[in-house]
Amino acid sequence: MISESVREELRMIVGEAWFLDSPEDLATYSYDGFLPEFKPDGVIVPATAEEISQVMRLANREKIPITPRGAGTNICGGSVAKEGGLIMAFHRMNKILEVDAENRCAVVQPGVVNADLQKAASKQGLLYPPDPASMFVSTIGGNVALNAGGPRGVKYGTTRDYLLGLEVVLPTGEVIRTGGKTLKNVTGYDLTRLLCGSEGTLGIITEITLRLVPMPPAKATLQAMFSNLDDAARTVSAIIGSGIVPTTLELIDKVILDVIGSYGGAHFRKDAQALLLIEVDGEPSLVQAQGERIETFCKERGATEVERASTAEEADKLWQARRSAFGAVAGLRPNCIVEDATVPVKRLPEIIRKIVELAEKYRLKIGVLAHAGDGNLHPLIMTDLRDKEEMGRIDKALEEMYEAAIAMGGTLSGEHGIGIAKKRFLGMEFDQKALEIMRGIKKVFDPNNVLNPGSFL
Amino acid sequence: MIPNDIAHEFDQCIKCGLCQATCPVCKELLLEKYTPRGKVQLARYYLHGDLQLSDHMRDVYAKCLLCGACTVTCPSGVDPRKVFLRMREKITERRGLHPAIENAVSSVSAHRNISNEDNLERAEWTEALKDVPARFYEKDRAEVAYFVGCVASFFPMVQNIPQNVIRIMDRAKVDVAILGGEEWCCGFPLIGAGIPEKIGELVEHNLEKVKALGAKELVFSCPTCYCTWKEYYKTDLKLYHTTEFLEKMVARGDLRFKETGVTVTYHDPCDLGRNSGVFDAPRRILKAIPGLKLVELENSRTKSVCCGGGGNVEMADPNLSAAVAQKKLEEIQLTGAKMVVTSCQQCVRTIKGRARKQRLDLEVLDITELVLRAMKGNS
Repeated sequence: MISESVREELRMIVGEAWFLDSPEDLATYSYDGFLPEFKPDGVIVPATAEEISQVMRLANREKIPITPRGAGTNICGGSVAKEGGLIMAFHRMNKILEVDAENRCAVVQPGVVNADLQKAASKQGLLYPPDPASMFVSTIGGNVALNAGGPRGVKYGTTRDYLLGLEVVLPTGEVIRTGGKTLKNVTGYDLTRLLCGSEGTLGIITEITLRLVPMPPAKATLQAMFSNLDDAARTVSAIIGSGIVPTTLELIDKVILDVIGSYGGAHFRKDAQALLLIEVDGEPSLVQAQGERIETFCKERGATEVERASTAEEADKLWQARRSAFGAVAGLRPNCIVEDATVPVKRLPEIIRKIVELAEKYRLKIGVLAHAGDGNLHPLIMTDLRDKEEMGRIDKALEEMYEAAIAMGGTLSGEHGIGIAKKRFLGMEFDQKALEIMRGIKKVFDPNNVLNPGSFL
Repeated sequence: MIPNDIAHEFDQCIKCGLCQATCPVCKELLLEKYTPRGKVQLARYYLHGDLQLSDHMRDVYAKCLLCGACTVTCPSGVDPRKVFLRMREKITERRGLHPAIENAVSSVSAHRNISNEDNLERAEWTEALKDVPARFYEKDRAEVAYFVGCVASFFPMVQNIPQNVIRIMDRAKVDVAILGGEEWCCGFPLIGAGIPEKIGELVEHNLEKVKALGAKELVFSCPTCYCTWKEYYKTDLKLYHTTEFLEKMVARGDLRFKETGVTVTYHDPCDLGRNSGVFDAPRRILKAIPGLKLVELENSRTKSVCCGGGGNVEMADPNLSAAVAQKKLEEIQLTGAKMVVTSCQQCVRTIKGRARKQRLDLEVLDITELVLRAMKGNS
């Protein structure tokens, strides 16, 4: 619990209106996009790095846990107050400070919404590539903390690949700057990239410098249907192996295609086992040629149907199935667990087969969406959290799935984070020494363990 | 406790938060409790006995435009609007009416209109129709009945809308009647205030009076009255919004337009577009006007952003309503059009009011006004 005098100090720092502790506010900051909920003792909404610095000094003195939260869309429990204390929200730090076309970069505050930055960049002919599904809501601060990816990751990589510099308030209250506007920087340890993906455990990001790229002038969108999953997987390997770097290469499996069909969305052929959605971007002539080649690859490898969009509206229509997938699946049963195991792209068919096998073995309904081009799977487990017995089976299936993914040279999480969701599996991927190093790093940044305690370490 | 019909909505909410993308309220007020997700979760906490129906709660639920943007955005099919209306009911039951809404509600029970006016003055706007005798349109029998709505009846800024409707219908020789002082509030303000159980009398009265006219068709210029009738009135009457009725007239060739070289943008009213599914009728009318160029807003049709005038928010939190209207104005200005057309008296009031405050060079018109101007034979 936080004493009244400390509450008064917090109000002095941010102003009366921005320290919240009513039951209604505590309730609405007790969740994120993941399942478990934790009621914080208060919510603080600072406006500047200076205010954050003062809050952190106070938190250190009083040993009050602080959990940073952007839009609360993460699905690993990264932004809930697992050990109580304060939620720190960045609603007021939502300014795009600069889009610097000459240096091809942008400087933003952590509360800026991803899509707002995309829009501002596009006005100057520039693109900010990371496009997580939450991009119309999620904040850049949260994207950096979780190293968010997205469908464009195959070609463009993830948030970390666009991160040039940070201003960070340390858990002990000092403010440091890392990196800057230069593309090249090998000075010292790369703290910028260490902080990226640290899930709000090492420091509070208060300013972010991001690299932008020129907006590609053209795009081709194709959809191919396969009556055999292996044909689809071989097509993925063929495209990747051919030297073409697609912007996006998404796979939807039969389970999800069927759900989309019965949800009233698009209707697919009865024999459809997998759908590939493929996009390339770049110069118009190149895009045209690559589109044709991809169409040939698909047909040669047994695609039963290939559609190539020639207008933006047609492309939008092809995206419809992928976009409606999650909603359709989420509506089927009370809960939907979105998993994130990732394998080297060549092992994709193997891990999908493993998931089908596990679904059968543990009597579960699991559909697979995959950013197939980079081996990043999103198995969607349709369930009801109130069914304890089924949850037990899910736990076993997950454990086996992660063991398989790691044995294939993969990882627990491609882009969603560990948080509390996969904490218990961390030992599968890291040996003891590696975990010790991480704990050591945490200790250097946060000696009193006040920042996002109870998270993955 | 909350009935099962909305418990289903919480079960479907996966707390993804994507509704924040389109909610105009949470974009202004920032805090999680003002997001649709927050308001759905507050309802869930209440249902589970973890939260009381406090004045704080009443204030939170009063800050919703009932625009329905969250409902079309939700990927898992939750209808937050339904939850919010139910919560307003529960809160009003426990804590009484929101103080800012009390006036309108007592006006409806005393005068059968929201404006605290003698309901006999409902048809005062017809006095401007100089070429007909007084009370000419308050007929005993007619083929078509026109339900004017409180706002267009009493607010001078938008009384031209019913005048336009009558003039257009007259020119096309439609046998139309209004109810005059026998038209009562449709009931929406009470539904929005959380007392839907109080609308029975209004519904019965209005149904009876329209029936007495022998009309088969009923036309509304107010999208909210139209929506309310569709949802809460049991009737065999064919219900039309003016845009649907005018579109039919255009298609039949009853309305013909002269060359009107003007660039306009169109604002979809929430209760006409998203909440009633009427998107094409107004656009077909606009397209039938030769020389007119329509530039769509960045967010149109189902994505249309509320003008700020919905959900009784104008009464409960005028500053919030104005802030949302300001964003709407900015979006309108991005189109470069100097004229914005819409199909709702409340949207006209909200957008025009804000544009005047800013002294903007922007004409804000109900579609009936533009139709009348563009009709052949009018100079």
